Amino acid sequence: MADSKNSSKVSSDKTDRKRANSPYADATAKRLKSESKTEKPNPYLAHWEDESNMNNGFSKGSPFKAFKRRQTTAKQAAKAEDSDNNPFTGQPHSQQYFNILKTRRNLPVHKQRQEFLDLYQKSQILVFVGETGSGKTTQIPQYVVYDELPHLNHKMVACTQPRRVAAMSVAQRVADELDVTLGEEVGYSIRFEDKTSSKTMLKYMTDGMLLREAMHDHEMSRYSCIILDEAHERTLATDILMALLKQITQRRPDLKLIVMSATLDAQKFQRYFCDAPLLAVPGRTHPVEIYYTPEPEKDYVEGAIRTVLQIHAGEPEGDILLFLTGEEEIEDTCRKISLEVDELVRETDAGPMAVYPLYGTLPPYQQQRIFDPPPNPSKKGGRPGRKCIISTNIAETSLTIDGIVYVVDPGFSKQKIYNPRLRVESLLVSAISKASAQQRAGRAGRTKPGKCFRLYTEKAFKEELIEQTYPEILRSNLANTVLELKKLGVEDLVHFDLMDPPAPETMMRALEELNYLACLDDEGELTPLGSLASEFPLDPSLAVMLISSPEFYCSNEMLSITALLSVPQIFVRPAQKRREADEMKNLFKHPEGDHLTMLNVYHAFKGVMNRGEDTKMWCHQHYLSFRHLSSADNVRAQLKRIMETQGLELVSTDFHDKNYYTNIRRALVTGFFMQVAKRENNKIYRTLKDNNSAVMLHPSTVLGADYDWVVYNEFVMTSKQYIRTVTGIRPEWLLELAPVYYDLETWEGQKDVKQALKAVAEKMRRRNAMKGGK
Amino acid sequence: MASDEEDDYMNMTFGEEPKAVTETSLQRRQRLKREGEIKGRVKSKAELAAEEREAREEALSKSMLEGAQAKKSKGFNMMAKMGFKGGALGSKDNADALLEPLRPEMKDGRAGIGLDSDRKRKLDEAAKDQQKKLKVDEEEFRDRVRKEREQARHERMAHGAMKVCERMDEEKQQLEAGELGGDDETTTKKKKRTLSTRPLKSIPVVWRGLVRRREEAERDRRMKYDLEQSSTTRLPEYEDDLEDADDKEAMGKTPTTYALVEDLDEEDPELDEFDALEPSEKLRRLVEFLRNEYNYCFWCKFTYPDAAMEGCPGLTEEDHD
Repeated sequence: MADSKNSSKVSSDKTDRKRANSPYADATAKRLKSESKTEKPNPYLAHWEDESNMNNGFSKGSPFKAFKRRQTTAKQAAKAEDSDNNPFTGQPHSQQYFNILKTRRNLPVHKQRQEFLDLYQKSQILVFVGETGSGKTTQIPQYVVYDELPHLNHKMVACTQPRRVAAMSVAQRVADELDVTLGEEVGYSIRFEDKTSSKTMLKYMTDGMLLREAMHDHEMSRYSCIILDEAHERTLATDILMALLKQITQRRPDLKLIVMSATLDAQKFQRYFCDAPLLAVPGRTHPVEIYYTPEPEKDYVEGAIRTVLQIHAGEPEGDILLFLTGEEEIEDTCRKISLEVDELVRETDAGPMAVYPLYGTLPPYQQQRIFDPPPNPSKKGGRPGRKCIISTNIAETSLTIDGIVYVVDPGFSKQKIYNPRLRVESLLVSAISKASAQQRAGRAGRTKPGKCFRLYTEKAFKEELIEQTYPEILRSNLANTVLELKKLGVEDLVHFDLMDPPAPETMMRALEELNYLACLDDEGELTPLGSLASEFPLDPSLAVMLISSPEFYCSNEMLSITALLSVPQIFVRPAQKRREADEMKNLFKHPEGDHLTMLNVYHAFKGVMNRGEDTKMWCHQHYLSFRHLSSADNVRAQLKRIMETQGLELVSTDFHDKNYYTNIRRALVTGFFMQVAKRENNKIYRTLKDNNSAVMLHPSTVLGADYDWVVYNEFVMTSKQYIRTVTGIRPEWLLELAPVYYDLETWEGQKDVKQALKAVAEKMRRRNAMKGGK
Repeated sequence: MASDEEDDYMNMTFGEEPKAVTETSLQRRQRLKREGEIKGRVKSKAELAAEEREAREEALSKSMLEGAQAKKSKGFNMMAKMGFKGGALGSKDNADALLEPLRPEMKDGRAGIGLDSDRKRKLDEAAKDQQKKLKVDEEEFRDRVRKEREQARHERMAHGAMKVCERMDEEKQQLEAGELGGDDETTTKKKKRTLSTRPLKSIPVVWRGLVRRREEAERDRRMKYDLEQSSTTRLPEYEDDLEDADDKEAMGKTPTTYALVEDLDEEDPELDEFDALEPSEKLRRLVEFLRNEYNYCFWCKFTYPDAAMEGCPGLTEEDHD
């Protein structure tokens, strides 16, 4: 009792301060006033902060007895955590729970729990800075849960993550820490997978998922607190969420927002959120010495290999982390370094070294290997072994590997970039930013003082690297985002208060594309088709294709193709067994294109599955990725559910009908008519209209040379330009299915294409006339 | 009053319509063949890549918000309806907002960060140097060559003048020695010998360089000779009683004593200063020295009997033209 009185006193004190500090002081003050006026509990606001109601909610022995929502203290929480029974489930705590609790209390963030609660209770928006390893991702949401008591007011706490894997693994970890079953009190929600229940009070989710939810719940009314984690990564969805929540918090004073960032660039967040208070928790870091090369590198991969070997030969114990750009480069370098190290071991007294690759599409069990301890000395008393991890920039912020003492940073990463003038979105190897370089260096100081070897000169670091990596929103095609924003009820896209607004032309292009897809009308309003398309967690073109597929009697097949296009490459092509892999791929080859070939694979896969055979084995034998095929299968099931709820028919043409594949190809055109290329000569194709560039078919394509007109899924921009995942089409379909885009009256693209299309139109007219004549 | 003959100033045609040149069937066939060849030629990869790059650059540099095309764009019109009036998107007080989309930078190969700019910088520097050189060449080549030739000529003449000085000096000393008596060959030889061993500093600076350089060359030659000999001298020697002094000398067994100029190894700032002068100036001083000391005109090649040097047209070469 005494405790409760005490805390209420403190809190009244705090609310005074809150008035002064809160960014929306007026709104908060108003709400407080109206609350103090209503003496009687308002039954409609029972879910808000009706304490009397709440206290009644606890059984007598509950550890939460003395708790008052948004007025709790760290002490109270610690007491509840120490109690024998789980305060949320009432079940006795397991032994494992107490073991974990001990380690949790050693985390840097734990020391500042009270400080955090003070600020949290005082302000509606809080910026939280915690370097990796501070424990913020797992602990802060729990602190909030103990203060929000979501099981009583039936409003959840959400914590967003940029990556699906992180959302899943963190949710599992926090479920263990709270001693509850994953999917019940603590759950996660990611695209194509929802693991929550009515009991869920803390939900980890991808930022994209929260955005999707907001489309149907503009006020985010299911949540009392939203935590945006890893905000420094500035993903597209996080940026949109920040702008949305900035608006929603003004309308909903009871909604709290915590923006968590791992870098010290937090002032930008503070400024953006009207000078919200900031709390910083130091991570556990050691000093890192930085070395630059005296001369620029001629070949950064060679330089990296050399540096790794030098470290291995000359530096004391400690693991190495090398940053490279992509799967192929990483695998290649892994091989080279392993060979060189073998030689080094043979010729000198160097210790053994284990080399591991790390990149996003690596299967989880292989990713797990990076946490293996380094190898033992090859002989007793020999030099210690070490491991070398060669990674993309996923090891930069999201993954923490202990034991890393040496970082080798060539200064590159693969980055998505979109330019509306070229209308091409592609992954390009680009120089990283200073902030990124700093982050990479920091990875060396996790366990003890470390060293970072930068494969560029100090001058280049100062003069050539940009300060911050450009946020995703500036590097993306915004068609999907604009559609989402429209669905979110944002009318004025031009003045939508984003932290970093995109270039006007990017927005213009997005609006145009959506207009061609008939998702927006000429006024910029959402059409019924657009509204329907936004229900699918897909690119608008894919969504439109799926929605129109019943008209072509192939919605089942289009579902499969869409699912297959939403997962990484299903064909596996190991460097040593390219020929075998290609031979296997030829088994599924459909001469009319890659989309159909992929469909063949999927059908075969399902056949094996239905016969109850070992699909994993089958995939392995046929050089297919079991993981990606199963995930495509899963995605398909999710999309199918959406199709059903939206009342879209699931139909197929009879397989023996000669139009079976034609229908599918025609359906492809409804989504991909803006991604068409026409053959210019033997090997060169040219993309159409304002996206006018010469391209070649990607070597992976199965398409024979029989088609002058093709649709493509992906434009690959390297030193050469390729189109990838290609299927042949007939030009008539373009005129028939996308008459607005291929309106010859207003055509301003290539003249020869116009001529060709005109001829096609003429042929069509004559044929129709003949039919009419008969 | 407008008459029909008057020019219709609203007429849109200007002057005479160009007559369509009729081409013969032969010309036509040739033209078609030519065009076909151009069309049918398979472009090299490098050409294609260059074309692609060019096309991309052009597309990248063209804003979609400008020009008539933009006004027709539905996307632009939608944005205009939302209140877009040019400038950046977002709230008004966001000064960092982008005006132009980011440019994709294509990276070829595996050059490290800073290599391209480093190369470019070096190329730029080299190009600049080259340009400078070119300029110099164009404007001053003749000048420079002429000057160089002139300098070489002066240098040669200065050397000649120095020799004259030495000869004059010798003659003067001979004359002095002759006055002292004993005018036979051997004494002259001896005198000559003493001349070379006389301290360098006592020689007037204008021709001291000549002697010094000769002495230096001599010293080097001897040192080289000694070095070659030294390996044999270290060996135990066989004493042959039959050898007399002449034999020994012939065999090179007598230790040769060199009478080197005593102050050869000393620094000589006075001479350095003189050597640093322009050849023309050296020559001028030498000429002056000869005139003052020996009443000799370098240009007339004549020793005048008295200091007035009557008959000599002047001090400079031009005077003697």
